[in-house]
Amino acid sequence: MHPLSVNERQSRIDWLMLWALFGLMVVGIFFVYSATMANESAALIPWYNQPWVRQMIWYTVGLGAMAGIGMIDYRILARWSLVGYWGVILLLIVVLIPGIGADRFGARRWLDLGPFQLQPSEFVKLAFILGMGNFLSRPPDELRSVRLFWQALGMVVLPFLLVMKEPDLGSALILLPVSLTMLYVAGVPPRYINTLLGASGLVVGLILVDVLFAPPQWQMKLEDYQKRRLLVYFGLDGVPREATPPQRAEARRLQRDYSYNVDQALISVGSGGWAGKGWRRGTQNALGYLPRAVAHNDFIFSVIAEEKGFMGSALVVALYSVVLVTGLRVAGQARDRLGKLLAVGVVAMLFSHVFINIGMNIRMMPVTGVPLPLLSYGGSSVLCSLIAAGILQNVYIHRRS
Amino acid sequence: MIVFDQLKRNDPHLRVLTLAVLAGLWWVQIISYRHYSENQKAQSFRTVRIPAIRGKILDRNATALAENQPSYNVTIYLDELRDGFKKEWARVRPPRGTKVTLAQRRALEAAARYRVFSNSVAEVARVLQLPIQKGYSDFMTHYTNQLALPMRLLENLSEQQVARFLESSANPPGVDLEVHPTRYYPGGSLCSHVLGFLVPDNRSMEGEVADFNFRLSDYRGRVGIEGDFDAELRGRAGVKSVLVNSLGYRQSENIWVQAEPGKNVILTIDARIQAAAEAALESSMPNARGAVVVMDPNTGDVLAIASAPAGNPNAWIPKINPDEWRRLNDETQRPQVNRAMQENYAPGSIFKMVTGLACLERGLDPAAKIVSNGEIRVPGRNRPIDDLAKPGTYDFKEAFVKSSNTYFISNGLRAGIESILRIGQRLHLGERTGLLSSQETAGHFPTMADVRHGWIPPDTAYICIGQGRMDVTPLQMAVMVSAIANGGKVLWPRLVQRIEPADPASDTPPIEFPPKPPRDNLDVSARSLEITRSAMLSDVEEGGTGKMAMVPGLRIGGKTGTAQVTDSQGKVVGHTTWFASCAPFESPRWVVVVMVEEGSSGGGTCAPAAGKIYRAIQKLADEPRPRVVANN
Repeated sequence: MHPLSVNERQSRIDWLMLWALFGLMVVGIFFVYSATMANESAALIPWYNQPWVRQMIWYTVGLGAMAGIGMIDYRILARWSLVGYWGVILLLIVVLIPGIGADRFGARRWLDLGPFQLQPSEFVKLAFILGMGNFLSRPPDELRSVRLFWQALGMVVLPFLLVMKEPDLGSALILLPVSLTMLYVAGVPPRYINTLLGASGLVVGLILVDVLFAPPQWQMKLEDYQKRRLLVYFGLDGVPREATPPQRAEARRLQRDYSYNVDQALISVGSGGWAGKGWRRGTQNALGYLPRAVAHNDFIFSVIAEEKGFMGSALVVALYSVVLVTGLRVAGQARDRLGKLLAVGVVAMLFSHVFINIGMNIRMMPVTGVPLPLLSYGGSSVLCSLIAAGILQNVYIHRRS
Repeated sequence: MIVFDQLKRNDPHLRVLTLAVLAGLWWVQIISYRHYSENQKAQSFRTVRIPAIRGKILDRNATALAENQPSYNVTIYLDELRDGFKKEWARVRPPRGTKVTLAQRRALEAAARYRVFSNSVAEVARVLQLPIQKGYSDFMTHYTNQLALPMRLLENLSEQQVARFLESSANPPGVDLEVHPTRYYPGGSLCSHVLGFLVPDNRSMEGEVADFNFRLSDYRGRVGIEGDFDAELRGRAGVKSVLVNSLGYRQSENIWVQAEPGKNVILTIDARIQAAAEAALESSMPNARGAVVVMDPNTGDVLAIASAPAGNPNAWIPKINPDEWRRLNDETQRPQVNRAMQENYAPGSIFKMVTGLACLERGLDPAAKIVSNGEIRVPGRNRPIDDLAKPGTYDFKEAFVKSSNTYFISNGLRAGIESILRIGQRLHLGERTGLLSSQETAGHFPTMADVRHGWIPPDTAYICIGQGRMDVTPLQMAVMVSAIANGGKVLWPRLVQRIEPADPASDTPPIEFPPKPPRDNLDVSARSLEITRSAMLSDVEEGGTGKMAMVPGLRIGGKTGTAQVTDSQGKVVGHTTWFASCAPFESPRWVVVVMVEEGSSGGGTCAPAAGKIYRAIQKLADEPRPRVVANN
C-alpha cells in the first residue's frame, strides 16, 4: 500500500451513489412542487418561500454538510461521537421542556431557531449511529461480555424513550432495526441478539394485545392518536363490548376519520396505475383528498405514485436500492470495523425509513410519521439523510489509508 | 473475508424486503388499479342527471299545443363564495390559543359562511327589488347535500327582472342567471284532456344510467298524449360530471353524455276546430259538463275532442297548487274526467239511427205509416213508455225528425233485437277504440248471449230508443255517425299522425301512424244509409228537433237525443242531451257529436253548440289553410 494524496482520495468518491442521490433530489424538487403548488393560493407565496425552493436550499445546505462530513476522516468523527451523542440527548431533554420545545400537532418535537425549526429526533439517529459504531468497534472478543451488551442496550433505550416521550414513534422505532443490525454485524454473539429479539418481540406483542384487546383499566397509557393508528392498522374500532350503539357509531366515525389519510394514500397510489396521471395532474392532492398538511412530507410517495404510476414508484424504489446497495458495498470495502459498522448503520437507517414510509403508503405498515429520505419536504430530514450519505462517502473515501 | 460473508448474509433481508415493497406496489397499482381508481372517481366526481328537452305536441297544422318556454332562475354557486368564506372566517375566528371545541368551531364556521351567503343574497334582492327567502336552514340543507350544484335563489323571473339583473353591473360573485326550458301549454286548457299533464319525477328511465348523485328536476307525463307518449317526448337524459374537492366544492364541470331532446308528437287535432268546439261546449249552458268530438268520417282523424269542464295543465308546473287541486277534484264538475271517452252515457234517440237502419234492412217500408197515441205499451211492462212526439201518424222520415218512440219501438220489436245488435256489434259498441290508453271506457252493449238469458221485450224496446241496457261514449257515437256518413266503413279513430325527431335535419325518419284500414263494415245497403242520411238532413233543415244546428251554406244532417238518467230504483234523475251530426250532406267531411249532461234537450242545448262548431269550420274552410311551418 502506498500513500495517496488528498486529491486522489477525493476523486475516489462513490459516483454511482451520488448520482442516485442526485436523481432522488431531482424527483424531490419536482414532486414537492407538485404537492404544494396545486392550489392557486400557493402561487401567492413569494417564490423564495415556496416549498420547492426551500427544499432546494436544504439540498444545497445538505450537500455542503455531506461534503464537509466527507472531508473529515470518520475516525476523527467517531472520536467526538460520544460528545455528539450526549449533546443530542441533551437537546432531546430540552425539547421536552414546555416553553422551549415548539408544540405542533400535539407533539413537542421542534426547537424554534427563528428562520427554521430543528427537529432533534432526526439527528438522534445520526449521533446514535456514530456513538454506537464507536462503542461496538472494539475487538469482537470484548463484545462477548454481558456487561458490554447491557451498556449497548442502554445506549439504545435512553434516546428511544426520550423520542417516544415527544412523542415521535416513527423516529424511535427506527433506532431498533439500526441498533439490531449494528449489533449483529459487530459480532455480538447471536444468542444475545436472539434473546433481545425474542424479548422485544414479546414486549411489542404484549403491548399490542394490551392496547387492542384489554379492558380500558388494564391498558397502558398510550397517546390517543398512537392507539388510534394501531387500531386503524389492525382494522379494529376499539369499542368495548358493552358499548351502546351510539358510542359504537361514534367510535366508528372516529375510526373512519383516522383511517382517512391511509385510505386516501391508498386511493392515490392505486389510481396511479401503470403510468400515472402525469406530473401535476394528480387529483387526490389537488382536490385536497390527500390532506395538504401531509401530502408533501409523509405522503409524498402517494403523490409520486399517483402522478407517475407504477413505473414512477418502481423508479424511486430502484434509486433507493442503488443507494442502499452501494452503501453495502462501501461497508464491505471499509478499512476497519468502525467504518463497516457506520456504513451498515446508515444503510439500515435509510432502508428502515424507505421501507416504513412506502409501506405506510400502501398499508403494509402502520402510520408512523416517518419521512421518505430526500423526497419528503423538511430541512431536518434532508440534512440528516445527506449527512448520512456523507458518512457513507467518508467510509468509502478513507477505505484504504 | 469474514466481514463480507456476514454482509452477504445481511444482504438477502434487504433484497427480500425491497421485493416485498415492489410486490406491494404491484398489488396496489396494477392488480387493484380498477378498484382504487373507481374509489377515486366515486369520491371526486358527482354525476348529475340533466333532463332532455321535452318534445312538443303539435296539431295537424304544426300549431304547438304543448311546447317549452325558457324560465329564468337566479342561482348562486357556493364554491365561488369560498374566498368570502375564508375572509369572513379570518375576521371572526377566535384568537389563537382560545380553547374551542370542534363543535363550537364548526358552528362558528357555519355561521360565518351563512353571513357571507346572506350578504350576497341581500345584494341580489336589492338589484332585483325582490325579497328572497333563504334562511339558515335552506342554506345548510343545500350546503350539506348539494354543495356541488348551484343553489337556486329565485325562480321564474319576469322579463323586467331579467333585464334588471342583466343591467346590474355589480352582481356578487357566484350569482348567475340560469335558463332552463319549462313545459308550457300556450292554449291553457285547450285540448287539455287529450294532452294530459306532467308530474315531477326525476327518476331514471329504463335503459338509462341509474345511479346519479344528483338529479335536476324533471317531469313525467301522466295520462293523455303526455302520458302515452312519455318515452318519445321525454328524450334521453344526459349526464354531467362535476369534479369536487375534498370539501365537496365544485372544481370543474364536464358533460359526459349530451341529453337527447325528446321527439315531437303531431296530432290529427286541428287547434282552431278544437278551440271552436270548446267554446261552443262552454256556451251551451252555464257550468256545462259535456263533450264534443269532431271527426273526419273518411279517415277517422279526430279533429277536435273536447270535454268540459277542463283543467289547465300549466297549473301542474312546477307543481300543482292546492286550489287548483281542489277544483280538479270537485265532486260534480269532475274536470279530470275526459267525458268524450272516459264516461258512459245512454245515447238516447241518436241511437235511432241504428234502430232505423236495422228496421230498413229487415224490409221496413219507409213510407209505411204508424199511428201513435203518445205512448206505447210493450208486452211484459205494466206502464206504457212515454213518447215526447205528439200523437199522430208517422212515416220513417217524420218519425225520425220528430223522434217518435212509438214508431221506432214498434218497428224495432218487429225487426227483432238480433238485427239491432248485429249493427251495434259491427260498430264495436261496448269495445274500446284504443285512442288513449288511460282514459277510455268501453261502454256497454248487450250481446246475443245476454239476449238468450232473461231478455224480455221491454229490454228490446229500450234499446230501440238508446236507453236501458246499453251505454256509449261520445267518441263511439262519432264513429257511428262516420260509418253512416262514409257509406258503412267503421273506422278506427286516429289521434296521432306521426312522431318526428326534434331536429328536422336529423337522419332519423319520423314514425308515421297512417289511418288504419276500417275496423269493420256496417254491411247495410246503400239505400238504407241514404234514407237515414236524408232523414238526418230533414231533422236539421226541415224544422225537426235539430233545427237549431242549421248553418246557412252548409247542409247538415243530424239527430238529437235526450236520454233519461235513472237511479238504481229506475227513477228519472236527469237527462243526457245529444246531437250527432255530419256535414256537408253531399259528401260528408265532418262529423260533430255534442253531448251535454243535464242539458234541457238535445235540440235546445246541443244542436246550437254543433251549429257554432259548423260555422267555425265553415269559416276555416273558406280561409286558406295555415302554412305548415317546417321548423317549429
